[in-house]
Amino acid sequence: MAYFMVVLLDDSRMEKIKGTGLEEHIKYMFGGELRLLEVEVSEDLKNKILAEFETARVDSRGAITDVPVAFMRELFNQVVEKKSLGPEVVEGVLAKIGEIKEMAAKESEYLPPPEIEV
Amino acid sequence: MSSLLIERPLPHGGRLVERVIEDKRVARKIWKSCNAVYEIKPTLHYETGVPVRNVYREIMSICYGFFSPVEGSMKQAEVERVLKERRLLNEWIFPYPLIFDISKDDLNKLGVEVGDRLGLTLKGKPFAILDIEEIYEIDPEELAYKTFGDPETNPEVVQQKFDKKHPGWVIYRSHQPYVLAGKYTIINPPKLKPPFDRFWFPPRKSREEFEKRGWRTVINHQTRNVPHVGHEFLMKCAAFTGDVEPCHGILVNAVIGVKRRGDYPDEAIVEAHEAVNKYGYIKPERHLVSIVLWDMRYGNPLESLLHGIIRQNMGCTHHMFGRDHAAVGEYYDKFATQILWTKGIPSFGFPAPPTDVPYGLKIRPQNMREFSYCPTCKEMAYSETCGHKREKLSGSFLRGMVAEGVQPPSIIMRPEVYKVVVKWWKHFGYPFCNEKYVINKEKELEVDLEDL
Ligand SMILES: [Zn+2]
Repeated sequence: MAYFMVVLLDDSRMEKIKGTGLEEHIKYMFGGELRLLEVEVSEDLKNKILAEFETARVDSRGAITDVPVAFMRELFNQVVEKKSLGPEVVEGVLAKIGEIKEMAAKESEYLPPPEIEV
Repeated sequence: MSSLLIERPLPHGGRLVERVIEDKRVARKIWKSCNAVYEIKPTLHYETGVPVRNVYREIMSICYGFFSPVEGSMKQAEVERVLKERRLLNEWIFPYPLIFDISKDDLNKLGVEVGDRLGLTLKGKPFAILDIEEIYEIDPEELAYKTFGDPETNPEVVQQKFDKKHPGWVIYRSHQPYVLAGKYTIINPPKLKPPFDRFWFPPRKSREEFEKRGWRTVINHQTRNVPHVGHEFLMKCAAFTGDVEPCHGILVNAVIGVKRRGDYPDEAIVEAHEAVNKYGYIKPERHLVSIVLWDMRYGNPLESLLHGIIRQNMGCTHHMFGRDHAAVGEYYDKFATQILWTKGIPSFGFPAPPTDVPYGLKIRPQNMREFSYCPTCKEMAYSETCGHKREKLSGSFLRGMVAEGVQPPSIIMRPEVYKVVVKWWKHFGYPFCNEKYVINKEKELEVDLEDL
């Protein structure tokens, strides 16, 4: 089974991936209104994620879900940085695991709000 | 005039209960006549000590007529009748026991007896009185079990024995063992704090508002959530019911009370619903957002009965009910509410629907399934109408998207609704209710009181 993680794209994230060459890999849902990228995850990396984050699980399509928000945010940063959807993206995230776990521990009390005008 | 027209129903019980004294001079006199004074305390979880209820919300909802014809804390015989037949002593149907409970210590300290008048303070200020007609003891655990039913006694809809994972069961289990029964009267009306103040439409006021707007028929939407587009379509389409024309109004009535971690904050819920009309998704002339103070018991069919009573008292002619209405876990059948309103639940005292028993309700149920996006129809489609594969949106998917700080597409959540969520996220540092929010809310409550 192939594993993957979904990176959702809103307008502000679309701006950031402009010119990375990833635009052609965008998938669509909800009549084209929801855009997303799928990041490849190897068997090995999947096992590592499940071992490191107890809430993480694999759904019936092979998508890894329910990891901390800090993980998901870094996943997007790594996509932009590596300009890739390959396994090196998750490797890049796992390289920062200490930082992510620290933020994840605070997630039940604080989550940084998006920078939009309200 | 067509004989098919549906008229605004009378309040449950025939007249609105209104037990609020606005005249301060009168109020001061009454306050002086109290035999003892008691500061209202939150009900704390019997094991963890976390606040699970505040009886002040019941006093507000009773005295302003949301729970008409209930007038106070129930006597023992009334509690027993409610538990057995879901009827008050005056015959009118009612789902839950409502009581003023105190500890043995507090009862001894107060030294009150039957015939006494107890003054109740809230946040240190005079708030209401309770004229004591009876004092009795309860077994909170037994009360908790009997309130919600069990698989043996109520096999039609109860699937699982209740336990401490059920927040409503916990509320009754956490009651103190002594009850002071009698009528409440508010003698110092609290002021709702912003943003709740502009959504405060107690039954008399909501009926006047309907009259002013020319709303003869009004359908209610029960909520404890910020609206996503699925909810919006539910409201829009359910409103097509009515009599000879669609309902004139849609009343959103948000239940405001103790929160559970992970819920959206109440402030965001009411303003997000308001955004639906403010930005024209449903014209403000057709849509009104309001609140009721109540710590949800999550009693699915029983809760739906209370919802019917509240909204009939507010003047609604129709009420939307969905699958798993006011439910948590799998204690009840998914369709328990719809079963109650279409067939009745004999073991709960309803051999017929609540609209078809003596002393029952007049409000009409509109049982609905759900809306989701259909890529073929290219629209939000009704599950019982569209024959295509639709893109279902799970609540946890949407919450994950929000938590990640990704703006949901407007076919899922309107941008103005999302902005409200972010506004309160910035305010509280969290998009949902965290522990700090839950604790602070019960400390500060939704109201402030002036000196008497
Ligand atoms: Zn369709």
